[in-house]
Amino acid sequence: MGTPLPEGIVAVVKADCPTCRLVAPVLGELRAAGVAVTVFTQDDPTFPAGLNPVDDTGLDVSVALDLDTVPTLVKVEGGAEVERLEGWSQPHWESFTGVAPLGEGLPEHRPGCGSLTHDPEVVERLAARSTGLRSRRLELARLEDEAEAFFERGWTDGLPVVPPTPARVLRMLEGTTRDPGEVVAVVGPDFADCTVEKAAVNAVLSGCRPEYLPVVLAAVEAACTDEFNMHGLLCTTWFTGPVVIVNGPIATEIGMNSGVNALGQGNRANATIGRALQLIVRNIGGGRPGEIDRATLGGPGKYTFCFAEDEAGSPWEPLSVERGLSEGTSAVTLFAGSGPHGFADQKSRDPESLAISMAWALDGVFHPKLALTSDAVLVVSPEHARVFREAGWSKARLRARLIELGTKPMSELVAGAQGCAEGMTVGPSGATGVGPVGPASASGDAGIPKFLPEGLLIVHAGGGAGLFSAVIGGWVRGAIGSIPVTMEVKP
Amino acid sequence: MTATTDAEVRIFLDPTSERATITRTLADRPATLEGKVVGLLDIRKPRGNVFLDRLEDLLNQRGLRTVRFSKPTFAKVAPVDLRHEIATKCDVVVEALAD
Amino acid sequence: MHDIVDLETRGVPGVVVASSEFVEAAESQARALGLAARRVFVPHPIQDRTDDEMRALADAALNEILAALQPEP
Repeated sequence: MGTPLPEGIVAVVKADCPTCRLVAPVLGELRAAGVAVTVFTQDDPTFPAGLNPVDDTGLDVSVALDLDTVPTLVKVEGGAEVERLEGWSQPHWESFTGVAPLGEGLPEHRPGCGSLTHDPEVVERLAARSTGLRSRRLELARLEDEAEAFFERGWTDGLPVVPPTPARVLRMLEGTTRDPGEVVAVVGPDFADCTVEKAAVNAVLSGCRPEYLPVVLAAVEAACTDEFNMHGLLCTTWFTGPVVIVNGPIATEIGMNSGVNALGQGNRANATIGRALQLIVRNIGGGRPGEIDRATLGGPGKYTFCFAEDEAGSPWEPLSVERGLSEGTSAVTLFAGSGPHGFADQKSRDPESLAISMAWALDGVFHPKLALTSDAVLVVSPEHARVFREAGWSKARLRARLIELGTKPMSELVAGAQGCAEGMTVGPSGATGVGPVGPASASGDAGIPKFLPEGLLIVHAGGGAGLFSAVIGGWVRGAIGSIPVTMEVKP
Repeated sequence: MTATTDAEVRIFLDPTSERATITRTLADRPATLEGKVVGLLDIRKPRGNVFLDRLEDLLNQRGLRTVRFSKPTFAKVAPVDLRHEIATKCDVVVEALAD
Repeated sequence: MHDIVDLETRGVPGVVVASSEFVEAAESQARALGLAARRVFVPHPIQDRTDDEMRALADAALNEILAALQPEP
């Protein structure tokens, strides 16, 4: 604000407040007793009459003082506030001001009214002026339709967005304790800074509630790590986009869906968190289809793909715990994934049989004859999970068995084998799929596993009815592609 | 300065990295107008038609083909059908006369 | 202005002809719409001009109009 407060007592009132009208004479009494009283009025500059009020209809002083209530008395010494008092209370006013008696004949106490700064109509006006928000302003012409304006400027993913007014962005920023100016991530392909504020603007566009913002921030941070490689993921002709899997208490706190239709539409948190990440990639990073995004086919998951793991019903530890975070920590795991590939197994009552079905479904990731090429997420539904729970199979045991089942001899996988030109190639350092293989692979007919253990993520989600699970296939795994990243969600 | 109240001014925050200017770019101009069709859009303010009649003559004298269009009312944005028609039938357009 | 802006975004180069009274309003509209539409101004007033005077305005504005529809030199 700049201007220091006047010494003595500052009183902020508004005419539209019975308590302020009640205490107006008391302010006169203070002046008469020699106290330096400066009265600021929020609404009617002629109130209180006879007290020479200072016009604060612009609310600059009220905002600077961060008032909740009128009347408020502020004791100012050396240009700064040392104490304040809200409402009317005879004994408190007397001890605060050192003047007694005050307000004789008035009721002893009367609570104040809400400060005009909290009036909903005023909030919008103040927000637009807020110098706390650094984003460039866009002013729309009177005839311009709000919804059309954002389509025309290329700020959407093809679906309408929520217009990002300053008031909405300020409310969104209340969802985090982080500073709006803090840089969350550097987003490719433009390598532009995504601040907390910019993330909030895009979260508003997407339709998020403020309490979702910490999850969005964690997702952006995780996506833009070198390991996850959002930039590379965006440029690929492959199907994948960032899939956000949420663990921990935050999922329930913000009402995410981990049950029926968990990977589908209808839940606001699921829908808008994934979408906010995509909008940030587009609007901050500059990543757009047809430009740097050259996906051959892409997929609907590139609008949004975010869900919560069903931890309560799971026979196993949560994904985030498995990946190193402590129990009860809220986290996101980013996985470069295509759309879900569903498969049925409605007959297996024992884990061995069900694991075989699952392994067959996993075989198809990327290409049946390409091993050690992609990672995958196996989403195990409750009815399938029950089979493993009843048999006492840990997640580790299931994973090991799936990898074993997915291990095939080179002779089956090699390019040209089984009448199919696609397949593994054998180079000087061993077999390769699409990317380089890990440790030196076998020669001859020793098996090559489809996945490395760290590349097969298993989560539990879905509705209670349906003997179906799903595979979310990945992109190119490892350092040249994308590596899944788990990150804590901070408030 | 147009006098608008706080309620009329609608302000939004830019969600982009702000690398690009907020302005959109003009359509590419043709290297030459020879052989091009010039649309003449009358916004229906009085006297505008006289201006456009003369402009049409001048353009025709220069060998340029013209097509005349007219907004139903100057008070509103041209209907989308009209804008689409102009876009499909013309290479360039002159809108007149705002007063 | 809105029509011309819309047509520009559809790929049709355009120019708005307006009376000189419109200079500031046109600028603020262009800024609000985020597109610096080409404008040619003719001297105010318009409404009470004779037909001959209107035709003279068209003659005078022709070159500027044509220039607005071609690439800048």
